[in-house]
Formats: sequence, C-alpha cells, structure tokens
Amino acid sequence: MKPVQLFCWHFMAYPHLDKDFDQKEYSGWVTVPNRLWDNTKARGLYQEYIDQLAYADELGFDGMVLNEHHQNIYGLMPSPNLIAAALTQCTSRGKIVILGNLLPLHLNPMRVAEEYAMLDQMSDGRLIAGFAPGGGPETFNYDVPSANTREKFWEAADLIVRSWTEDGPFAHEGRYFPLRYVNLWPKPLQKPFPPVWIPGSRSPSTMTEVARRGYCYFLSSRSHGGETHRAQQEFAAVLEKHGDKYHPFRFGILMSAYVAETDQQAREECEEGVWYFLKNCLKGHLRREGRQLTYGPGVPYIPAAAWKEYLKDYKPGRKLLGDAENWDELDASQSIIVGSPETVTRRIHNLIEKAKVGNLLIQFQLGNMPDHLSRKSMKLFAEKVAPPLRDASASQFSKEFPDANIEQPAEVAH
Amino acid sequence: MSGRIVQVNERNVQVLENGGGEPLLYLHGFADIHSVKESWLPFHEKLAERGRLIAPAHPGCARSDENKDIDTVEDVVFHYLEVLDALRLTRFDLVGTCVGGWIAAEIAVRHPEKIRRLVLIGAAGLFVQGALIGDVFMNAQPEYGSSYASLREMLFSRADHPMALEFFPDGKGELEDELRRYQMLRLSSRVGFKPPYFYNYSLKNRLHRITSPTLVIWGEKDNFVPRAHGETYTEKIPGAKLTTIPGSGHSAHVEKPEEAARLVREFLDK
Repeated sequence: MKPVQLFCWHFMAYPHLDKDFDQKEYSGWVTVPNRLWDNTKARGLYQEYIDQLAYADELGFDGMVLNEHHQNIYGLMPSPNLIAAALTQCTSRGKIVILGNLLPLHLNPMRVAEEYAMLDQMSDGRLIAGFAPGGGPETFNYDVPSANTREKFWEAADLIVRSWTEDGPFAHEGRYFPLRYVNLWPKPLQKPFPPVWIPGSRSPSTMTEVARRGYCYFLSSRSHGGETHRAQQEFAAVLEKHGDKYHPFRFGILMSAYVAETDQQAREECEEGVWYFLKNCLKGHLRREGRQLTYGPGVPYIPAAAWKEYLKDYKPGRKLLGDAENWDELDASQSIIVGSPETVTRRIHNLIEKAKVGNLLIQFQLGNMPDHLSRKSMKLFAEKVAPPLRDASASQFSKEFPDANIEQPAEVAH
Repeated sequence: MSGRIVQVNERNVQVLENGGGEPLLYLHGFADIHSVKESWLPFHEKLAERGRLIAPAHPGCARSDENKDIDTVEDVVFHYLEVLDALRLTRFDLVGTCVGGWIAAEIAVRHPEKIRRLVLIGAAGLFVQGALIGDVFMNAQPEYGSSYASLREMLFSRADHPMALEFFPDGKGELEDELRRYQMLRLSSRVGFKPPYFYNYSLKNRLHRITSPTLVIWGEKDNFVPRAHGETYTEKIPGAKLTTIPGSGHSAHVEKPEEAARLVREFLDK
C-alpha cells in the first residue's frame, strides 16, 4: 500500500497589505478595494510563488495544489489553470492538483474539459482534476444565482467526464448546458480519465454524489479534530451504502504547517505570516469581523430542509478560525501545525492515524510569510517530517485496508 | 383567517384567505406575510375588512412546494396563471409589494383584462439606469457574526425600526421564522440574483398594455428599490398615480400600515 500522499498547496495570497489593513478595511473578499494592489511591490510575486511550487516538486512532495478564487487577497488565482500550465513547464514529477475549477462560474463546462485535457497532455499525465461549485464569495463575484448551483455543478462535472471518456461527437441534452457537438480535442492522457477530486463540507448530498461516481472526497474544512474523523466515517458509510469501500486515498484534507529547528523558533518565525493570514486573508471568509460571506442565508444554495438542520446547531456569533485571539486558541483548532520536525510529525501522525486520510494537502506559505522562511519550512518538512509520516502511514494503511483497490473505478455514473 | 393548500399542476400552494365578497389577490414581498410571519399583518387585516383577500405563498415559500424549474420571473408568472385557474379567479384586484409587486406587474402586462384595479407598493421589476436595486442577498449575510442591521436598513426606513427588529432580529430567531426568511431568499435568488437583478428589462416596454386604474405607492426612503422605479412605473402605466408615504422605507405596508391600507382601500373603493 502506498503511504500518505503529501501535497504542497499554495494559495498565492497578496502579501503587501499595510499593518492597519484589519482596522481600516471591512473585508478581504469581493469588495476589498483594489487600489491596495501595489505594482511596485507585487512585481515578480507570481514568479516567487511558482518557484516555491517548483521547489516542492524538487523536494519530493507528491504534488502541488492550486485553486480558484476571485477578487480577494486570500488567493490571487482567478485562473489556477494558468499557474498549472506554468508548472507543467518547470516541474517533472509531482501531480498537479487543481482543486478546483469553479464550474458554475464558467459559461461553458467544455472550456474546463478542454483546459484540463491540455494540462494533462502538457504535464504528461500528472493532472488531478478538481471540480468545485464555489461558495458564498464566488456567488457574489460572478453573480451566480445559488438555488440551482448544485444541480448545475453536477451536470457540468458529468458532462466534462463524459467528454473525456466517450467518443465524440455526441449531443449533450442537459438542462443547463445543452450542446450539439461535444467532441473533445485534445483528449486527456490518463485513462480512463484524470483522477477527480471534489471538495465538500460534510454535506451528505455531496458525499453521496461523490460516492456514486467513485471520486475522491476532499474535506474543505481548515480546522481539524473530531469533525475530521467524523467526516471520514460518514464518507466511509456512504461508500459502503453504494457497494464501495473506503480507503485512505478516497479522502483528503487541508492543513497548514510550519516547521523550524525548534518549537520556539518555529513559532517566532511564522507568527507574523500566521496572523496576517488569519486577520487579513480570512476577513470576509472565516471571521466574524466585517461580513462573513462564505455561508449564510444570502447564498441560499442548500434546500430549505437542509438549512433547517443546519440552523438547529448554529450558534450566531460563534468564533471562526480567523477569530482566534491567541496562540493557544489557534493551536487547539489544529488548523496550522507549528513546531520542530518532531512536534509536527507527532501531531500530523495523530491526525492521519485517526482520520485514516491518504491525501494531505499542506499549505506552507501563509499570508505575508517571506520566501526564505517558506522554503526553509518546506525543506525541513520534506527531509524530517515526510519520511516518518510515510513509513508510519504505509504500515497503518496496509494493516487497516489490506484489500483496498486504490485505482479510480472506470465506470462512471451519468 | 383560513389557510388552505391548493393543488396546482401537482404542486401544493399555500393560500391564506380572509373576508368575503369581491376578490383581491395579494402577492407578498420580503417583510411580509409568508416571508416573515405565518399570519396576517395589520395592513392585511384592514384590507380584508372590505372584501375577500387571497394571499398565496410564492413557490418554495411557507408551505408552498418549491419548483426547481423556476429560472426567471416568466416561470413565476405561469405558476400564478395556474393558481388563478385553480382559484377560478377571472377578474380581481391585484396588490403586490416588493418582489410581489414585480410579479403583479408581469401578470398585468400579460392579462390586463383580468385586473380590475392594480396597486404596486415598492415594486421591483424595472431596469432604471442610475438607480440600482439594492443587494438584499449580500445584506442577508450576517455582519459581526450575528447582525442583520444592514438588511433591516435596506428593507425599512431605519435599522432600529421596531417592526424591522421583530421581523429580522439579530442572531437567531425562532426556527420557523428563520426558515421562512430563508425560503423567500431562495425563491428570490432564482429570479433576482443574476443580472438581471430583480428586473426584467422588457417589462418597461410592456407596461403600456395595462388597462386597469393603477396606484403606485412608495416609501419616502426606500433603500431597496429606489423611488425612481416608482416614478418609471407611474410614467409608463397609462393613468397611473404615484403616492409617497412620508417617513416610510421600502416596507410601507409594515411601517405605516394604517396609512398604506387607507390609500389602497380608498383607491380600490373609488
């Protein structure tokens, strides 16, 4: 059994905000004023970030992760496919994970099918294709009406996979994206098609749709603990119901990490970047301050019955990740794991052991963390943390999932 | 008050009815029956004194079934044509507020012969250059974890109006009320989220088809549908009259129920 797959995720934050951003500005998302963009400071930023990802490939990470965001300081990748194209030219081993293209924001899903097929060819079959519906901010970014988003999303996702697997031309008779001549050139390189990952936040309906299609489920939560373990169990139960079996590579999680020589040094080195990330980048997304756009009645994409269930446990004004007031609170969320190689290894090991998760997507560069520190942390992780995690997880997975078939099933439900 | 379920094309529609006599069809908006409360508000009780008041809940609101095929206001109009058939309403007075006012205007341009008298209160539905309709969805996302002050500010003359606080409280209200508000936002997002944003560009060019006497009522300080929309309705509907309610915001029927009801009754009884 293969060991845990360790990916380096880069969000490409805007790192040049003034220190008083949080006092002065209402949000880091959607309406964050773009006069704050400073060309003098930002020149070369994309190159710095792309080089960090190429460095991850060099260090032996299993892949690099990108995703799509619009109009914010959290992630400067309105088109992750452009960055992926650059990575096909400066990396050679790791997977290129795009998690994902936000399908309801695309006028025509075939554009995503085409670009992903190109990237799969250009990377010699290293693409992992993520599809995501987008959340609150994206609803406002592109004025996507939310009530039918999920349905529209799955029609688009299924059309893309069908265009990769079925000979064209064929007609797609869909409610949202009817097309007369679906006939993909180029085809993707991987057979039957590139692995598909879908993010979700524990909603049973998303888990069910993912299970039906045999895809990998990625838990989009940034905080970890009991809920991560529960998500894994819920997804395993859903797979079981669909006559399928859970194995660690059907599941992925996101976390952040910073590794330095000692615990104390680690904290000192990363703290500025961490707080920049929490207070600025998460403002409007995972903070109470300002207006939280990510989830709420203004983006009513889940059915009323599901909203009612959500409301039962909803505590207005509850603290979100970015509302952490001190290091202890942040530490307890298990969102950003900071410490010496031994500390980070131990904590991540515990998480893998409990959550039986095979795809670990780790963000190293946080907020305005400088290049040299991001690289040092990545290097220490690759050299001192990754090996013991791989050893331990390989034996854990072999023991717990001796008969797992880790290939993506070829049959896809339409 | 009597609530009942009417079957329309195999879907349930919740209909509230009160009084007897000449029929008045009432189509609701955000701060309104079905969207925030189950029962009549004082404004409706006043209207019910003069005749038969019929208030269906929009598809997906209150106990009306959701219809996921609703994409545009046109789909809502056809839903209501079927409701009219089911209720055997061939000629009636029509009063709509906010989104309900938009739907009322859309029905009236298609079937002017069905409408005896028409009242539009703070009605959405028009594209008026330079007078953007407010973003109710952005404002429905809480600020500071639990505040809906900006939503109240949009739908009323001020955020601390007692009715605004009752209908859109901070934090978490009663579960059933929370659900009502959510359902109304969900229906509205189907017809009003994407551009066109709560409007149908063509409606303006169809308003001349309306033949019924028409009263347009606007709150003096409407922060959701600017007064310019009321002026445009009045200009384009033959013979329409615009009346402004001083001191009121978008939800005139809630903020000034006596005055709003009196204006509507006087107009309908003329």
